[in-house]
Amino acid sequence: MKILVCRCEDVTLEEITHVLDRGFVSVEECKRLTGLGTGPCQGKECMLACALLCHAAGGGAHPITPFTARPPLSPTPLGALATALTTSLTTEDDE
Amino acid sequence: MSVTLRFEGKEISAEAGQPLAVALFVAGERVLSRSVKYHRPRGMFCLTGHCGACLMRVDGRPNQKACQVPCVDGLVAERQNAFPSAAFDVLGITDFVFARGLDHNTMFTSPQILHSVVQKVVRHLAGLGTLPDEASRYGTPEVRHLDAIVVGAGPAGLAAATALGRAGRRTLVVDEQLRPGGSYFAEPSDGAAQAARAVTTAEDAGVELWSRATALGWYPEDTAPGRAPGVLVVGRPDRLAILTADRYIYATGGYDQNLLFGDNDRPGVLPARAAGRLLSRDVLVGERPILVGQGAYVEALANALTERGAKVERVDGHEKRLVAARGRSWLAGSWVAGAELNVAGQRQRVSGDAVLVWCEPTPASELPRQHGAAVELRPEAGGFVALADEHGRAAPSVWVCGDVTGYLGPASAALAGKRVGEAAA
Repeated sequence: MKILVCRCEDVTLEEITHVLDRGFVSVEECKRLTGLGTGPCQGKECMLACALLCHAAGGGAHPITPFTARPPLSPTPLGALATALTTSLTTEDDE
Repeated sequence: MSVTLRFEGKEISAEAGQPLAVALFVAGERVLSRSVKYHRPRGMFCLTGHCGACLMRVDGRPNQKACQVPCVDGLVAERQNAFPSAAFDVLGITDFVFARGLDHNTMFTSPQILHSVVQKVVRHLAGLGTLPDEASRYGTPEVRHLDAIVVGAGPAGLAAATALGRAGRRTLVVDEQLRPGGSYFAEPSDGAAQAARAVTTAEDAGVELWSRATALGWYPEDTAPGRAPGVLVVGRPDRLAILTADRYIYATGGYDQNLLFGDNDRPGVLPARAAGRLLSRDVLVGERPILVGQGAYVEALANALTERGAKVERVDGHEKRLVAARGRSWLAGSWVAGAELNVAGQRQRVSGDAVLVWCEPTPASELPRQHGAAVELRPEAGGFVALADEHGRAAPSVWVCGDVTGYLGPASAALAGKRVGEAAA
């Protein structure tokens, strides 16, 4: 029987426990080693559960920070994002 | 008004505008997709477009959130990610073969030839959906500046927008759901009525409201003509909106969470608030739901479900604890049939047709964080809360209010929204 922490990427509690047992203590490390939080929900459902497991494993010794949530925050077709190129926005890269 | 949908060769009748996931649930279609790795069945879960469990192919477009797609006549819905079908998926065998888990970092990395073969097979089986039938067309983005933008049309956002509107500020509320009202709709007794009142009050204050408008992110490196750097990009069904404002108020609320127990991903395991959202659409989640947790929301939900004729099995989470969800075989992808409990050290099985879990929604603090707000892990408040001063100010031109600052519930969130809206005005 499996206990799922991240349903998007099918990451189990056993996998997270294994990562923590190896001495990793951050949400970012769990993400990089298991793929947790990298599916369509982008961590909306799993990141807190992972953070609390990290918090418990570290005994509160390490401040727990969330992984960086980059835009877009919700799955977006590339075609929709590409339309921004037709506007008069300027970006830092242009300058 | 009734409309007819086509679902894998069947005709299903639904109410116009009802979310596709809810229409399929009412029609008895419970498995909506399969998971990406172990091909475990997935059903509706959060009903707010946040979880990724209900992605379906709709009208030839992959990965549409079935809980956020409104039913229209002639809509064609298909399940994806399964062979031959999501209801019976032979690829579900991977779940048993890799009962102890499957680590794609270390699996079949040598010899090289086996690695490349396995990678080819895995890439064919994995992934979400297949390409759309035809390219989608999107209109030119709308670029606009406002006195105030409020993200989230829940209790806090609507109250903040009302205060800003009454102060004469040109205010736009963007909200990703099919209808404005946010967590009011999860209120078990009269959620829809409370939402309607708050929306009317905001509109009377001159506030403009967009539904199906998802705030995709704060892009600090982009600049709209004649404005300070930074744009808020909002995704709508047919085009983007690129917005700037003098004041940004984030009332993004919280995401419903699951608990950690055996087979907690089984279809039929739902957040308690999802059962409340179904009630607001006049749909009963089950005849014999198992309700896990304690607190004001759980009491209100238990009462409302009982009034509707359901026999509610209560599990308090302390004396009686949830060990696992039970159901039929994974291959057939069945809905929950009950739960295994730990009652004062003794294993006990109960039957039921839904497992409803309560835990505080976790603050949706990513967007204010992108825009400069600090966040901090506060487990007792539900997660990473957005930090702010006593006026709700989190960063220059940025305010936060409602459940994103830690779970409050609708009544307190509305009060906080009013206070922050008045401060920001």
